[in-house]
Amino acid sequence: MLLLVSTSAPSPVWTRWSRDLLFHLAGCVTATFGLVLWCTLVPLSLGLAITFFGLVVAVASLLACRWFARVERRRAAIVLGAPIAERYAPAPDARWTARLRALLGDATTWRDFAWTGLAGVVALPLSGLAVTLWGLVAGFVTLPAWYWTLPDAADVGVWEIGSLPRALAVAVVGVILVPVTGYLVRGLTIVEVEIMRWILTPRRDDTPADEGAPAVPGDATPGRVLALPLSLHVSFALLICTVVAIIWIATGFGHYFWPIWVWLPLGLTVAIGVVVVRAQEAPPSQTRALRAHGEFWVAISAFLVSIWLVAGAGTFWPFFAILSFAIIWAVHAIFALRDRLPLGAREQQLAERVDVLTRTRRGALDVQAAELRRIERDLHDGAQARLVSLTMQLGRAEERVADQPELAALLRGAREDAGLAIAELRDLARGIAPPILADRGLAAAIEALGRRSAIPVTVDADPDQRPLPVVETAAYFVVAEALTNVAKHAGGAAARVRVLRAGDDLVVEIADDGPGGANPAGGGLTGLRHRVEALDGTLTVTSPPGGGTTIRAELPCGP
Amino acid sequence: MRAVIVEDSVLLREGIVALLRENGIDVVAQAEDGPGLERIVSGHKPDVAICDVRLPPTFSDEGLRAAIEARKRHPGLGVLILSQYVEPVYTAELLASGEAGVGYLLKERVGDVRGFIEAVERVAAGGTALDREVVAELMRARLAGGADDGAIAALTPREREVLELMAEGRSNAAVARALVVSGGAVEKHVRNIFGKLDLPASDDDHRRVLAVLAFLRAGAA
Repeated sequence: MLLLVSTSAPSPVWTRWSRDLLFHLAGCVTATFGLVLWCTLVPLSLGLAITFFGLVVAVASLLACRWFARVERRRAAIVLGAPIAERYAPAPDARWTARLRALLGDATTWRDFAWTGLAGVVALPLSGLAVTLWGLVAGFVTLPAWYWTLPDAADVGVWEIGSLPRALAVAVVGVILVPVTGYLVRGLTIVEVEIMRWILTPRRDDTPADEGAPAVPGDATPGRVLALPLSLHVSFALLICTVVAIIWIATGFGHYFWPIWVWLPLGLTVAIGVVVVRAQEAPPSQTRALRAHGEFWVAISAFLVSIWLVAGAGTFWPFFAILSFAIIWAVHAIFALRDRLPLGAREQQLAERVDVLTRTRRGALDVQAAELRRIERDLHDGAQARLVSLTMQLGRAEERVADQPELAALLRGAREDAGLAIAELRDLARGIAPPILADRGLAAAIEALGRRSAIPVTVDADPDQRPLPVVETAAYFVVAEALTNVAKHAGGAAARVRVLRAGDDLVVEIADDGPGGANPAGGGLTGLRHRVEALDGTLTVTSPPGGGTTIRAELPCGP
Repeated sequence: MRAVIVEDSVLLREGIVALLRENGIDVVAQAEDGPGLERIVSGHKPDVAICDVRLPPTFSDEGLRAAIEARKRHPGLGVLILSQYVEPVYTAELLASGEAGVGYLLKERVGDVRGFIEAVERVAAGGTALDREVVAELMRARLAGGADDGAIAALTPREREVLELMAEGRSNAAVARALVVSGGAVEKHVRNIFGKLDLPASDDDHRRVLAVLAFLRAGAA
């Protein structure tokens, strides 16, 4: 009743209700546009994914989604007072590929995309319902003015409207329904605008750029941005499908199941969303686009076949469409998988041979590395241990003949010789497979090399790096040999060693500030090159006279 | 004195046990792997544990890790590491667990029976016993680390020799024996060294050794 009192003067309630109506009127227009966009440009770009034209359409549809979302953010201002915030990652001032990547990597783009999809299932039904409700009420209230234009049998619900008193009674009901509708529509408005806000408002972690962190396009995981709106999309679609089915049941099971014409298009919009989200969430791979493309055609084909079934299953007209989809997809597949296509007999033989050689070479290197470690262990547990035991026994004997200086001196000499043999074996073992490399990894082993070196060495290596033993050993010996070279040729220079990962490669770099002018074909460097090339790596030597020497080895660590 | 020994090679273990027993050291227990060290140390409460670096099951630095762990759990336990390699990383880790009551010797040093027994006794008594290779590594690191302010360069060759022997953990008397000079001469060298390196003077052998080690390690970081 408070409500009636407030109707006596222009009040916030009226303002609010009229704003709600305006919001929904605009919503009917924009949401229809969004639905059309979602059902035309988006499928078109997916369908043409393999062609350059498809790329253009895809970019165009994303830009259209952006533009649509901007309009929608402003539509929300009708009820919110201010537009929903928007924050696009700044477009890099770079080549168009970089701009494109920024567009695709911007989470806000995908928020816009998600809302475009939802417009058809959320905004359109809600706004449509709101406008319809107000339309009915307006019709009721104004009925006395136009009831006579109705055909004779016209009725509103159970009433027949044939006379002015009846029309006036309906008008009264209409007036009573005004506040009910106002609040009902208020509810619809709140639901719609809150979903809009939830989808369209940028999150803190969307664009790390303004938090000071380095902007990495593509890191905003668009899949995550899209997943929740998709579930909302599915829920709303199911809700609408259920409602139309209930309406169909409530209106007495018409002979024709018309809700199917709501179900099918909604199913298609959901299928499009699912295809896009699946493609976003899949790990990047050669076949990701191909799979998404295929899924999309399957969805469209299923849609067409359903229509064909519903329309009476006459001539199978979807056949031609499906055939052309299959041809387009096959062309895409041939392009995407052409390096997996069967080769000619000769090429196949060669490919197999290369496979075998690669595998066996790697196997040989692995065996060699394992073998070297085994030799080192055998030396440690065998010859070295026996020599240590020998020195110990000689020492004990020496103690017992302390009163015979000549004999003691002989034993002492023998012990010292054994000690030298141990030291030599130790250097040999360390040169074969340094135990610290196996125990503590590359970083520690290189640090140890640096400390043992005759020149000052700074080491910059990530201690968590544990590549395969064979790669690790190669990297270690590159550094060892390079440092020996620096000590030998670069007279007193200081050296700097860096070990880092670059993609799948382990990069080892040894730079000195010596006189430069190293001969890349020299013995030591050639040995290093062979070692690195055996692992399909590359060794580059930069040594301008007077400019120091930098040796850089790139060792692939992939499978 | 009570000692335990952890060594996986039976040949070496039995040799060392015999050698220690001949020299009046009571070997109360033996083990052959890392977990065995903790078991016999907590069971027998020895004065000193002699431990190989490379032990089963991993055959990497199992022994070193076990010894450092044992030092944490049993304060006052002397730990003497035996190894066929001198690795600066291992040395640094061992010394980081406390410089008093530690030793790190190359295995072949057991042949010098007198020196080895002295080292075991020193470690058991809370002193230090570092291999001359370890000391050489420390000196190199100090000189190459860039932190050296020329203090070591200011030492005479004789003083440098004395410094290295001290860093091995030897008392003044032992340094004098090793260099075949009088105790007084060594005293004088030590005074000069401590003056040049700006280290706190002390009458206590252990403390002097610790000061020298701290000095060497400060530059290695």
